[in-house]
Amino acid sequence: MAAEKGDREVRKQKRSESAVDNQSDMKYEDEPEFSDPEDYVDDVSDEDLLGDLLKTKPKDTDSIDNVIIVDNIPVVGSEKLTKLQVVVKKIYEKFGKIVNDFYPLGEDEKTKGYMFIEYSNPNSAAEAVKATNGYKLDKAHTFAVNLFSDYDKYEHVSDEWEPPQPKPYKDLGNLRYWLQDPDCYDHYSVIYEGGEKTAIYQNTVHLGAVRDPTVVEERARWTETYVRWSPQGTYLATLHQKGIALWGGPKFDQIMRFSHPGVQLIDFSPCERFLITFSPMPVKSEEPQSIVIFDIRTGQRKRGFNCEPHAQSTWPIFKWSHDGKFFARLSTDTLSVYETANFRLIDNKSLKIDGIRDFSWSPSDNYLAFWVPEQNDIPARVTIISMPARVELCIRNLFNVADCRMHWQKNGDFLGVKVDRYSKAKKMEDTGQQKYSGIYYNFELFRIREKQIPVDKVECKDNVLAFAWEPTGNKFAYIHGESPRISVSIQCLRPNGKVDCLKVFERRTANHLFWSPTGQFIVLAGLRNMNGVLEFIDTTDMTVMAQTEHFMATDVEWDPTGRYVITGVSWWGHKVDNGYWLWSFQGRLLHKQQLDRFCQMLWRPRPPTLLPGEEIKEIKKNLKKYSQRFEAQDRLRQSTVSTEMLEKRRQLMMAYESYRQHAEGEFFATKQQRIDLRNGVDTDEMENLGDEEYDEEVVEFLLKVEEIILDEE
Amino acid sequence: MKPILLHGHERSITQIKYNREGDLIFTASKDNQPNVWYSLNGERLGTFQGHNGAIWCIDVNWDTTRVLTGSADNTCKLWDCETGKNLNTLDVKNAVRSCGFSYSGNLLMYTTDKTMGHPCEIHIFDVSDPSQMKTGEPCIRIPINGPKITSAIWGPLEQYIVTGMEDGEICQYDVKTGEKIHNVTEHSKQINDLQLSLDGTMCISASKDTTAKLFDTSTLDHLKTYKTERPVNSAALSPLQEHVVLGGGQEAMEVTTSSTRIGKFDARFFNLVFEEEFGRVKGHFGPINSLAFHPDGKSYSSGGEDGYVRVHYFDNEYFDFRFEF
Repeated sequence: MAAEKGDREVRKQKRSESAVDNQSDMKYEDEPEFSDPEDYVDDVSDEDLLGDLLKTKPKDTDSIDNVIIVDNIPVVGSEKLTKLQVVVKKIYEKFGKIVNDFYPLGEDEKTKGYMFIEYSNPNSAAEAVKATNGYKLDKAHTFAVNLFSDYDKYEHVSDEWEPPQPKPYKDLGNLRYWLQDPDCYDHYSVIYEGGEKTAIYQNTVHLGAVRDPTVVEERARWTETYVRWSPQGTYLATLHQKGIALWGGPKFDQIMRFSHPGVQLIDFSPCERFLITFSPMPVKSEEPQSIVIFDIRTGQRKRGFNCEPHAQSTWPIFKWSHDGKFFARLSTDTLSVYETANFRLIDNKSLKIDGIRDFSWSPSDNYLAFWVPEQNDIPARVTIISMPARVELCIRNLFNVADCRMHWQKNGDFLGVKVDRYSKAKKMEDTGQQKYSGIYYNFELFRIREKQIPVDKVECKDNVLAFAWEPTGNKFAYIHGESPRISVSIQCLRPNGKVDCLKVFERRTANHLFWSPTGQFIVLAGLRNMNGVLEFIDTTDMTVMAQTEHFMATDVEWDPTGRYVITGVSWWGHKVDNGYWLWSFQGRLLHKQQLDRFCQMLWRPRPPTLLPGEEIKEIKKNLKKYSQRFEAQDRLRQSTVSTEMLEKRRQLMMAYESYRQHAEGEFFATKQQRIDLRNGVDTDEMENLGDEEYDEEVVEFLLKVEEIILDEE
Repeated sequence: MKPILLHGHERSITQIKYNREGDLIFTASKDNQPNVWYSLNGERLGTFQGHNGAIWCIDVNWDTTRVLTGSADNTCKLWDCETGKNLNTLDVKNAVRSCGFSYSGNLLMYTTDKTMGHPCEIHIFDVSDPSQMKTGEPCIRIPINGPKITSAIWGPLEQYIVTGMEDGEICQYDVKTGEKIHNVTEHSKQINDLQLSLDGTMCISASKDTTAKLFDTSTLDHLKTYKTERPVNSAALSPLQEHVVLGGGQEAMEVTTSSTRIGKFDARFFNLVFEEEFGRVKGHFGPINSLAFHPDGKSYSSGGEDGYVRVHYFDNEYFDFRFEF
């Protein structure tokens, strides 16, 4: 108050000064009058005087933000109250210092099923609400936790329920229109000019009639890095600095945008419902931002995750189950499986698996396979469990394991595990890591569809470079050996528990295997440092259909129907001769497309067929009938292509001839000038005469005369 | 088709030309000695001795009496074809990049490089005026501002000169006034070669931008484009058929790092009208630097970075082949 008083005095002084000004002739003899006149009313409010101080004045509602209400706690009598208090305290202590807790009691001395907790600061309270809202204490009690300050808000919720305004439905058209193409042409995306241009082509090529691909859409700077098709081909995703855009429909309109600054990697859920994106940009907000899951149809952000930098960082970090209901990720000793129903961990907890190294979903069932290395005296093991029940279906113990690689067959019928085994292990003293020597390999083949999942074992002494299942069959291929003695083996799982070796292709130049998506055909490819050697093999009778090469090829892509193969030399991998070549499944070169700084080519995937199995069988049975029809179509197309080409050539020739007529006219018009320039010699004519002018003439003359005298005896 | 190998040069071939009758081949190389050969059997007729630097260009007049060579030793020399005697030496400030006789053979021109502070210029001399030839003072001097000339030829009636520039531009300069009459920018990179068709109405350009293009000589209208994947060093028009031959390959600087397969040193034949490739001739193990058709169109020669000149006489299949249309 002292300050206030002083202030008043100053004011008074001012007032008296002005009085002095008015009566300038007055002398300064009297002490100025400081007291307020009788009727003076102070018109200055406290707000003006010390607004800054008032702000820090404690209010009744101040600590209200520190208080939370926990609902749905068990209703207990006084005898169990202490126990409840201990339990609740244990849960809530970890969010901050609890200043006060209060359990209202009813008339019967029992708790009322809710209680209050006051923290020392609002942050702890907010944290507690976020973490424990929905916390399951036991089956009957799931906590509903709110901030006390929100209580008011919830109290005044109008009784009348107002339906939320539905978003106006935007008709995106038929997003799968491209499947209705009568000729079953497939689409593919191509990035070229070093990423400047992105185009969608329609593969208007027939085995019988080769035609240039048709451009469906071409845009400059459509993407900033690369593009991805969704797993069923509905959307095309482009990556930008600010986030991801999805495109689709006949005109490739923008369907959705997802903001995620610095996004680098993306992954779709198999059913195309969710999109996972990863950005390495450091985040400032507390919300986890490194990995975000979006709902594709609503554009909503479903959940964010942090990405631990030390964790193994191979993308995709999250792996999806085949139906998109679950997704899982691996961290040290734990496997976290989440449900897409609520984006939480199944049963709110992760699977604790000591030493887990890798896992993989079955492509057809909700089975998870994972492997754990040796620990002390416990052998390494591969386990298959079903989700979400977590029932162990099969455990396979393995000894002397250095590493395992799991390969599911596309139908989920088989799981092949490539096991790297050692004969000697030595612990490195400086790094503490194991050093293995005498490595050999074997495959553990799990027959998922058979009772109790029997496992076959195939030994391989050589170094294994690649392994691949026939997507729809019971065959598998692997590349083994050391350069230059590299072989490719193709083996087959028989139903009676036998594994037959069908063929070993010896001394091959190959480092990659590409099965046709429909099985039967396989391309052995020696990419990059093997100069792009290609070999097309039919595995029904193991015939080599074609041995060829696309020099320095970096990529091989089968089209989704297994009719065509595209090989490409990407500018990202090799700087000259960028472009892609189109082959038939038999290895016949159909089309060469050289593109300046061609980067990436991706076939547009197709959704699984809607035809039931019987109908497919029916078609296969009557294949002859259909093939006749298609062959006739092919013949027709071939003739139209050649007529089109001939027509084009005819046009060109006509245009050229009319140009030549004009040019020759001018040429003859200047004939005299030419003759004058060359002193009257008409060189035009001499050239036209050509050979006839010269006659060949044989000239004979004596070079030497020699006389030899023969013995005349 | 078995080629005749002309092995007489010690360094890479820079330019080859047939005389008008086609019985002689003139070859210039970086080894300072231009050669003359019989085209029929590949026998060497003689050399022109006197230059002290790489020869960049060579030309012969219409009646095969005079030969003109331009060199990196900053001279352009006129020779008597029959005797191989050096008639005149024209001293220049810079390396001579391209040279040529006019239709009548009375005028000669050469272009100079833009180095050592001297601009790129076109010089034109009257051969019949001995004072010009002695003093080395050209009757016409056309200075070129901007990118230098990398290839130049006379127009069909010696009224203008067609030049290809370092930046891909093609220009026409009037000989009398020295003015630029036309220019087109169809190529994106350096023009390596320009050649006329037999009647001079069309010309073909070879460019580092991996294409060759056909133009109308007088209007410089762009007519056709022939695409490859490698820099094109030379392109020639067949006098007999609607054919074009292109030669080039990976640049000499990068060649050591690549195999002959990736270098693509083949001569490639295109249909002039349809722009479609129909044949390739392998053989050189370095890029092809110069190509020339025999004036009768029944053989052609190629000179390469590998120092060889290969003379090819076409098989009968070549003459039997026809495009359907």
